[in-house]
This record gives sequence, structure tokens and C-alpha cells, in this order.
Amino acid sequence: MSEELESRLRAAFRPVAPSDEFTQNLIARVAADQRSPSNARGVRERSPKASAWCLSASMAASLLVAAGIQQHVQERRERERGLEARREVIEALRVTSQKLNLAYEVIKSQSSSPADDEPGV
Amino acid sequence: MRNCSLRIFFALLAPVFVWAAPSPRLVLPEFSALAQKATESVTITLDAALLAMAGRFMNGNDPQDAATREILKGLQGIYIRSYTFDKDAAYQQADIDAVRNQLSAPGWNRLVETRSRKSQANVDIYIMVANNQATGLALIASEPRQFTIVNIVGSIDLDKLHKLEGQFGVPKLDIDVKAPAPNNKK
Repeated sequence: MSEELESRLRAAFRPVAPSDEFTQNLIARVAADQRSPSNARGVRERSPKASAWCLSASMAASLLVAAGIQQHVQERRERERGLEARREVIEALRVTSQKLNLAYEVIKSQSSSPADDEPGV
Repeated sequence: MRNCSLRIFFALLAPVFVWAAPSPRLVLPEFSALAQKATESVTITLDAALLAMAGRFMNGNDPQDAATREILKGLQGIYIRSYTFDKDAAYQQADIDAVRNQLSAPGWNRLVETRSRKSQANVDIYIMVANNQATGLALIASEPRQFTIVNIVGSIDLDKLHKLEGQFGVPKLDIDVKAPAPNNKK
């Protein structure tokens, strides 16, 4: 039984010469691959020009990203400085107005009790 | 050749004339010793660039911000030193005199001088006028536990300050800014 199976398998997997059609197709395919810029494994090889372009594009993209981040940080810092300056302006006006108010109160109180205060405008 | 020599001569002299022109900006001391003693201190130094930057961050739709931006338009600097102490006589009058002496320079006119015996609050307001326009304002307010020096540089319109009335507590002073007394009432 096992011998019969073995002989069948041998018959099935016996070396067979390829047909002429297959050989011609294979030769034609190899010739076409050699003419085309792609290698035998089908992976496209980049030309030096394309590689340089890719490198330039990558560097430009990196620079753009770096510039964008830098600008974002700069804008954020400027915004913080601007808001701080705004806060200081409001504080400055508050202090100034407080002291103007003090002067005004003294001047106003002159009319009620002239002996207490000595304004001069 | 002679014209060229004259031009060079005047070009060399120009910085001297600029230096000699009275500046509305006061030289404010650091007051570092007082700042250490003070319970509260306010130090504000805003030059033209910072004022412009602050103006850009004012909200035009907000009335207070809009009024503030109007005031800032003509200003070139705001400098404030204010110190509050927890006891009387914590500072010497000499501390203020260094600033007050600068206000005896030509160009400065004392606009308001108030002395209150009751509250012992003294407020002096000086203004520098050039071409009928206020180019600088100095305010020195001294109280027993507080003193404040305000120096505003630039074209100051007190009418615009009046617009802030009720917002920062600015009172109506009824002061004619455009015609101050020519002499220095020091």
C-alpha cells in the first residue's frame, strides 16, 4: 500500500521539462526587466535626481515644521508679554487715577474745611 | 569746503543740543532698600514698545479697553514706583527729593500742589509742556505710610483721562492743560 502511494507521488512530482511557450515567456520577461529601470525583484530604484529631490523635500518639510514651531513659540511668548504689558498698563492707570483722586479729594475738601488743607492749582 | 566744515560742525553739535533739551522722562531710583521694607510695592516700567504691545492686546469692543487704548496712543512711556509700609515714617523725605529735584529743570511746571494736614497726604502734579502740548507728567504723592511716583512720557490728554472716570476711579480735575503758568511754582 505504501509502496503504491510512494510510486504515485514520485510519478506526480517527477521533473518535467517546461513547455516552449513557458520558456519563451520567461525569456521575454527577463529581457523586458533588463530594459526597464526596475530591478529583478520589482523594487524600483530611485535615480540620483529623484533621491536628491526627495532629500530636499524632506529637508524643506523639516524646516517648515521647525519654523512653524518656532513661530508658534514666538507668538505665544509675545502674547504672554503683551498680556503682561496690558496688565501693567491697567495697574499703572489704576495707581495714577488713585493718586489723582487723592489730589482731587484734598482740593474738594478745601471748600468744606479750608483750614485743614492747602491746595494750589 | 566751508559749507562742508559747517555741516560737520553742526552735525557734531546736534547730539549736544538733543542732550540739552529737557526730557520728560525722570530718572527714577531703584529704591531697593525701601522695596525690602515695604509691605506692598508697585514697580512699573513700560517703554514705547511695551505700550504699543499692550495696546494691541486691548479689546476694541470693551469700552474700558477702548478708552485705555486711546490714552496709550500718544504715550511713549509709563514709569511708576509705589511703596506701602506698615508703619509711619518708614521712608525719608530725602528718598523723594532726588526725584523732586529733577522737576526743577526747565520745562516742568507744577500744576497741582495739595497739602492735607488732616490726612498728611501731599500730592504734587507737574507737567511738561512743549508747543502747547503736554509732553510729560509727573506725580508725587506722599502719605505717612505710602509714597508714589508716577512719570508719564508722551502727549497726555487729560480729557482722555476723564473718559476713564468711573472705570479706574479717575476724577474730573477741571485742569486746563494747554495753558499752564510759564513759571515754575516750586
